[in-house]
Amino acid sequence: MHIRDHFFPESVREAVDLLQREKGRARLIAGGTDLTVAIRNGKNRFEVLVDVSKIPGLDSITLQDGLIEIGSRVTMTQAETNKLIVKHGTALAEGCSWVGGPQIRNRATIVGNVVSAQPAADAAVPLFAFDALLRVVGVDGSRTVKIGEAYAGVGESTVDPTSELVTSIVLKIQGEGEVSVFKRMMRRKAMALPVLNCAVWIRREKKRFAEVRIALGPVASTPVRAIVVEDQLKGKEISIENIREAALGAADFASPRNSPFRGSEAYRKEMVRVIVMDAFNEVLSRFEKDSKHARN
Amino acid sequence: MPEINMKVNDTWRKGTAKPGQTLLEFLRKELHCTEVKLGCGRGDCGACTVIMNGQIVDSCLVLALQADGASIVTAKGFGTKEHPHPIQKAFMEKGALQCGFCTPGMVVAAKALLDKKRNPTRDEIQRGLSGNLCRCTGYKKIEEAVEAASRAMADQ
Repeated sequence: MHIRDHFFPESVREAVDLLQREKGRARLIAGGTDLTVAIRNGKNRFEVLVDVSKIPGLDSITLQDGLIEIGSRVTMTQAETNKLIVKHGTALAEGCSWVGGPQIRNRATIVGNVVSAQPAADAAVPLFAFDALLRVVGVDGSRTVKIGEAYAGVGESTVDPTSELVTSIVLKIQGEGEVSVFKRMMRRKAMALPVLNCAVWIRREKKRFAEVRIALGPVASTPVRAIVVEDQLKGKEISIENIREAALGAADFASPRNSPFRGSEAYRKEMVRVIVMDAFNEVLSRFEKDSKHARN
Repeated sequence: MPEINMKVNDTWRKGTAKPGQTLLEFLRKELHCTEVKLGCGRGDCGACTVIMNGQIVDSCLVLALQADGASIVTAKGFGTKEHPHPIQKAFMEKGALQCGFCTPGMVVAAKALLDKKRNPTRDEIQRGLSGNLCRCTGYKKIEEAVEAASRAMADQ
């Protein structure tokens, strides 16, 4: 569809008003790494672009009351190099570092990655492990959406970019005894879709798993949490045997599809076990590193 | 149609851009910067790489109107045929190109990398150029060229 107008509002309110005025004919654009391709292919169902690039404040990353708030214009490059995110939201920084190549990471935003709603999105999968929240502003006011409720299906978000705007993503910082890890399996180390990706967030108490979150992509129509496995692991001793069992459980839980790009279902199911094992091994390494730091 | 202005290789230029038009198309058709190549047109190959406000971008994934007021550097923005930039010289000396189609994007990515890191490791070079595909060289000579250029620039 032909693009009639491209607006640059200077406030969130102005952006939302523009969307409302166009009644579904306009949609938001930030980095544009997905939308420009859609426009070029004529696959866009909108004729007006409302650009967030001149709205002040949306590019900030702040830490307050134990929460990191990431503005909706924050790019993958910003996220992977930001000290707050690297330290307190490690898996997210790691996930962002795998998106596309440097050119893409300099433009693509974390929020765009969520709203595009692809099940393999490297920035979105860690957000599931952090149980992140989206702050959304629409015509009728603002609301918060849990990351798990931001998805309606492949490429379909419950946040409607033709009527509302995500202003930020909020996640709890990793505190004492908490670590997060992102792992990715792929055919080539850049510019390649993930065969699988996995983000794990763990809180330990002494030698036990106190809380566990395991997020996987793309093994369903959206990124998913392996909640059955998380529940099984909760309260258990941190041991290789228990991790092995969890990895097997995750493989059992996952339902990847046969894909010419990603491999067969049987292969990828087995690889879920491998990637979850890898992620937990990294968790163990990080816990040990933390303990060493604490002792020194 | 909106008129936009951008600084391309240190010269401010103006042109009219259509809403929805890519920066790549604007640079090639409106400003005749044909050194910026259209490869895949969807952000896979990096042939259209330019430096925009200090960062490399795929110009096929940026809309021209988003680049209004921006500073753009293309492969013509550093070095000339008579006095090539150390990166360009190193590409020639190391044989880091065959058909040459990816080269304008490749040298721009290399320039942005070396602007940020004077002495990158092999891994950093690989990551810095990971958004640029080359179907001829196998990359080894490109990596060698960037290493050679970094040494030459340190000697200057």
